[in-house]
Amino acid sequence: MAVADTPLQVAENPAADQDDAVPGGRRWRGQLGLWLPGGAIVLIVVACFLGPALLGLPKPVGGSVLESYLPAGSPGHLLGTDPNGNDILSRLLHGGRASLFIAATVNIVGLVVGGTLGALSGYAGGAVDTVIMRILDVLIAFPSLVLTLAVAQALGPSIRNTILALAFFSIPAVARVARSAVLRLRGQPFMAAAELCGTPAWRVLFKHLAPNIAPQLITFAMLGMGIVIIIEGALSFLGLGIPAPAPSWGNMVADGQLSLSATPMLVVWPSLALLLTVLSFNLLGENLRSRWSGR
Amino acid sequence: MTTAALPRVPGDRDPRVSPLRRVTGSPALRLVGKRLLMAIPIMLGVTILTFWVLSLIPGNAAQQLLGAEASPEDVAQLEEQLGLNESGVSRYLSWLGNALHGDLGNSLVSRQPVSEILADRLPVTGELVLLAFVVSLLLAIPVALLAAHKPNGLMDRISMMISTLGLSVANYVLALLLVLVFAVTLGWLPAIGYVPLSDGLWANLKTMILPSAAIGLPLFCFYTRFLRGDLVDQLQQEEYVTTARAKGVGSWQVLLRHAFRNSSFGLITVVGLNLGALIGGTVIIEQIFALPGVGQMLLQAINTRDFVVVQAAVVIFALVAVLANLVVDLMYAVLDPRIRYGSR
Amino acid sequence: MRADRTTYATGDAYVSTGMIDSRAPAEAHRTPAAPGEPLLTVEDLRVQFTRGGRRINAVNGLSYEMVPGKLMAIIGESGSGKSVSSRALMGLLPGTATITGSIRFDGRELIGLDEKELRKLRGGDIAMVFQDPARSLNPTMKIGAQISEAVRAHADLDKKGVQARAVELLRLVRLPAPERRFHEYPHQLSGGMRQRVMIAIALAGEPRLLIADEATTALDVTTQAQIMELLVELRERLGMAVIMISHDLGLAASYAEDVVVMYAGRAVEHAPVRTLFSNVRMPYTRALLGAIPALEREPHSMLPVTPGQPPDMSALPQGCPFRPRCPNATDKCLEHPPFLEHEPDHWYACWHPAGTELDTAPEVTAAVAPATAAEAAHHSTAHDQGAAQ
Ligand SMILES: Nc1ncnc2c1ncn2[C@@H]1O[C@H](COP(=O)(O)OP(=O)(O)OP(=O)(O)O)[C@@H](O)[C@H]1O
Ligand code: SF4
Ligand SMILES: [Mg+2]
Repeated sequence: MAVADTPLQVAENPAADQDDAVPGGRRWRGQLGLWLPGGAIVLIVVACFLGPALLGLPKPVGGSVLESYLPAGSPGHLLGTDPNGNDILSRLLHGGRASLFIAATVNIVGLVVGGTLGALSGYAGGAVDTVIMRILDVLIAFPSLVLTLAVAQALGPSIRNTILALAFFSIPAVARVARSAVLRLRGQPFMAAAELCGTPAWRVLFKHLAPNIAPQLITFAMLGMGIVIIIEGALSFLGLGIPAPAPSWGNMVADGQLSLSATPMLVVWPSLALLLTVLSFNLLGENLRSRWSGR
Repeated sequence: MTTAALPRVPGDRDPRVSPLRRVTGSPALRLVGKRLLMAIPIMLGVTILTFWVLSLIPGNAAQQLLGAEASPEDVAQLEEQLGLNESGVSRYLSWLGNALHGDLGNSLVSRQPVSEILADRLPVTGELVLLAFVVSLLLAIPVALLAAHKPNGLMDRISMMISTLGLSVANYVLALLLVLVFAVTLGWLPAIGYVPLSDGLWANLKTMILPSAAIGLPLFCFYTRFLRGDLVDQLQQEEYVTTARAKGVGSWQVLLRHAFRNSSFGLITVVGLNLGALIGGTVIIEQIFALPGVGQMLLQAINTRDFVVVQAAVVIFALVAVLANLVVDLMYAVLDPRIRYGSR
Repeated sequence: MRADRTTYATGDAYVSTGMIDSRAPAEAHRTPAAPGEPLLTVEDLRVQFTRGGRRINAVNGLSYEMVPGKLMAIIGESGSGKSVSSRALMGLLPGTATITGSIRFDGRELIGLDEKELRKLRGGDIAMVFQDPARSLNPTMKIGAQISEAVRAHADLDKKGVQARAVELLRLVRLPAPERRFHEYPHQLSGGMRQRVMIAIALAGEPRLLIADEATTALDVTTQAQIMELLVELRERLGMAVIMISHDLGLAASYAEDVVVMYAGRAVEHAPVRTLFSNVRMPYTRALLGAIPALEREPHSMLPVTPGQPPDMSALPQGCPFRPRCPNATDKCLEHPPFLEHEPDHWYACWHPAGTELDTAPEVTAAVAPATAAEAAHHSTAHDQGAAQ
C-alpha cells in the first residue's frame, strides 16, 4: 500500500499497487506464503528421510573409484558421482538428513532450555534475572563461531558434539526472545489476575505464559532452523562438524571446492540444497512472524 | 540575542555553565560511561569462558609441537617452559595481569609476540570488514528508500525477493559461487590470495573484492530489509509523518527528511550489533580466500592448540563488539537531540 | 470553568466571505463561495478499511455542510469515525482505505484528485492540527525547520523570507520568544507550546479551513482553554472556518456555533448549538448530554454514554445503528432512519425523536430523562427559548 502519499481512492478505480484493498487476493497470497515454504519443507524432509530407501539409491559412502566423476544422468546416478565414486543424490539426501536432524535437535534444545531460562528470568525478575542475563550477555558477546569451533574441536567431530556446540549459541538467543515476550506479558491484566488468585508460579508459567509466548518462540525457531543449518554447514565445511566420509552439505561444499573449476556441480548441488532448505525455513518464519505481529 | 533577559524554560541551557562542565555533565557521556562499566564484567566473562573452554580441549601446544612420538618427559619439560603446568586459575590471573598492561603474551608455537602477529593481521580483517560494511550500506540505503517509497510496488517486491534470497545463502556458499563466476568462469578476479595495500590499491582491491562481497551481500540484504521495514513502520505509524504530509510536503521529502532521519537511529543500532557477529563470520571467508587475517590466525591457532593466540583473537573480537556498541551510543548522542539535551 | 463559559462569542455572524477573498491568493480554482454557499459539502461519505480480509466500515454515509468562517464541532464516541472522516478530506488515509461519496470544497470535488493537486490542497486550502503535540512534531527536527518546511510548501520565498514568515507565524500563535524557539527541538517545549507550534504550521499555507482533531485533548484544562481561545481568535482574524473534533460536549458547547453529532460513522444530528441544546432530538445526543457531569470531573475520559457497547464497525446492526442501546427503539427502527432537515436548520436521523409526538421514550428511562433535561438547561444559555418548536 502506498503510504507516503496516497491519492484519495475511488472504489471503482483502485490503483494498481493497492492490492491490500482486494481482500480475496490478499488472503490467497497469505495462504500461499504459508503453504509454499511449508510444503517445500515437508517435501525436503520426506525426500531426505524416505527418499534414499524409496528410490533404492546406492549408499552415500564406500563407492568405487572406477565409478568416479560420472556425469549427471548416468544410469543409476541421476546427479552423477563424486571423485570417490559415490552417488551425489544419495550423499545429498543423506547429508540433508544429518543437517535437518542436527538443526531440529539444536532448536528443540534451544527452545526448551533457552525458553525456560528466558521465561524464568523475565518472570522472576530481580537477582535471578540479573544473573541469568549477565551470563547470557557473555555468551552473546562471545564470538559464536569461535565458541562452536572450540567446543567442536574440544569434543571432536561427531553429530552429538556438533549439536552440543550449536546449542551453546542457540540457547542465549531463544532466552532473550522468551524473556522479552514474558516481560511484555507481565504487564497484562490476566497475569496480575492469576497472581492475585494465588496461582502457584509454576502454574502461571506453564498455564498462562507458555501458551502465550509459544507462537513467538516457534516463529523464532523457524528462523533459527535456517541459521543452524548454515552454521552446521560451516562447521562441516571446516572439517569440525560431521566427520569426513559421512556426507553433509557443508563437507560436500568443502570437498567440491577442491575441484571447483573442473567439476563445479559438486559445489552447486549441495549449495542449492542448502539454499532451498534455508530459504523455505526463512520464508515460513517470516510468514508466521507477520501473522503474529498482525501485519 | 541576549538570553539573560528571557524567561527560563524547561530544557533551556544555562549559558553560565562552562563548556567543560557541559561536556562532562552531559547525559550522553554518562551513558557511554555506564556502557563502559557494563563492558568490564562482560569482557571478564568472555576471557574466563575462553580459558575454560580451551582447557577442555584435549592435548596442548607442547604435545602438538613435539608430535605424537615425543617422550612424556620432553612434553612435560616443554609444558613447564611454556607455563602450561600451572593451574588454570593462576594461568588466567597472570594472563589477565599482563593483558591489562597491554601484553598479550607470545605465541606458543612461533614464540612471536601476539601483538606483532595482530599488527600484521588486523589490517587485513579490518579492510575486509570495512569494505563489506561501507559497500553494503551505500547500496542498502537507496534501495530501501526506493522500496519504502511505494510499499508493495514493483521496486519493493524485487528488492524484498532478492534480499530474502540473499539472507538464505550461507556466506561460504556465496563465496564459492562468486569464485566460480568471477574467478573460474570469467577470470576477472583472482580466486584466492592476498596482496597488501602497499603493493598498490588496485592490486590489493582485486584480492579483496570477492571476499568482501561474500560478506557484504548478505549484509546488504539484511540492511535493506531492516531499513525498508523501519521506514514503512515510520510512515504508517508515526504521527509526525502525517503532520508532514498534511503540510503539503512531497512524498520523497516526507520519506527523506522525516522517516529516514528517524529510521537511521535504528539502522545505526543494527549496524553496531552486527559488527560483533560479522567479525566471527570472517573466519570462514578468510579461510576460503586464504587471506592472512585474524580469522585465519584463529583457526590455525585452534588447530595447533596455540591458546595464547586464541585468547588474543577472542579478546579482539569481543572488544570490537563492545566498542561497536559504544560507538552506537555515541552516535545516538550526537544525532538524537533528545539525548543530546538530556531529556531522555 | 469550561462549562460556565457559555458566551457564543461570534453568534450567527460568521465572518463574511469578502474577508477571505482579500487574503486568498488569486488562483484559478479559487472562485469564492457566494454568500450562503457552503464552503464544504460532505455527501454520503463512506470509508472502508480492509485489514487482513476484514472490512471495517469506519464512515458510513456521512453528510454535512459548512459555510465559510463557521466554527463547527464534530462530536461522538471514540471510534465513531470523526478522525477518519476528517483525514479523508485531506487525502491522508492509508492505502487500505477505500473512499466513496462526495467531498466538495468550494465547489470542487476532492475525491479522486491526483497527488499533485492534493499536495497543494493539504496545508493550502485545508490544514489540520492533531491530537497529541508530543507525537505530531518530528522529535529530531528543530521547530524552525518544521515550520519553514510548511511555509516553503506553499510559498515561493527565499531562505530569509521563509525564516521571517516562520517567526511571524510563531508570533501569531503567541509563542513566547519565537526567535529563540525557532532553534529549539520539540522536547524542549511544553505541551501547550508544542500545540501552538502545530497551529503555526497549520496556518503556514493560509488555509480556509482548519481542522483541529482533538487538538486540546492531550492538554491540561487551563492550557486547553488557552488553545481554544487562540483558535477562536485566529479564526476571526484570518477569516477561516474551523472544524473542532472532540469527545467533549461541554467544550463544543462553549466554543462552537454548529454541532454535528456522529454515531457509527454517520451524522445523526446536526444543528446550531442553541437549537441542539434546547431541542435535542436524537436519543443518542440526549444520552451524551446526560453524561456531561462525568466529563467535567474527568476532562480526558471518553464519553460514558448509555449502557451497551459502541457498535462493531465491521458488523453494524440492521437499520438504525443506535438501536441496540436506544430506549426509544421500536420495530420501525429496523428500517434505516434517513438523515433529514426535519426542522429548520436542524437535521437528524431518527424515527422517534425526543420531545416530539413520535417520542416513544418509556418511563423506564425516567432515571436518565430528568437529568438530561436539567443538564441541557444547565449547559445551554438558550433555555429561555424553551422547547418552542
Ligand atoms: N488505518 C486504519 N485501518 C483500519 N481501521 C481503522 C484505521 N483507522 C481507523 N480505523 C477504524 O475506524 C473507526 C473510526 O476511527 P476514528 O479514528 O475515526 O474514530 P474517532 O471518532 O476519531 O475516535 P477517537 O475519538 O478515539 O479519536 C474505528 O473503528 C477505527 O478502528
Ligand atoms: S431511529 Fe430508533 S433506534 Fe435509532 S435513535 Fe431513533 S428511536 Fe433510537
Ligand atoms: Mg480521533
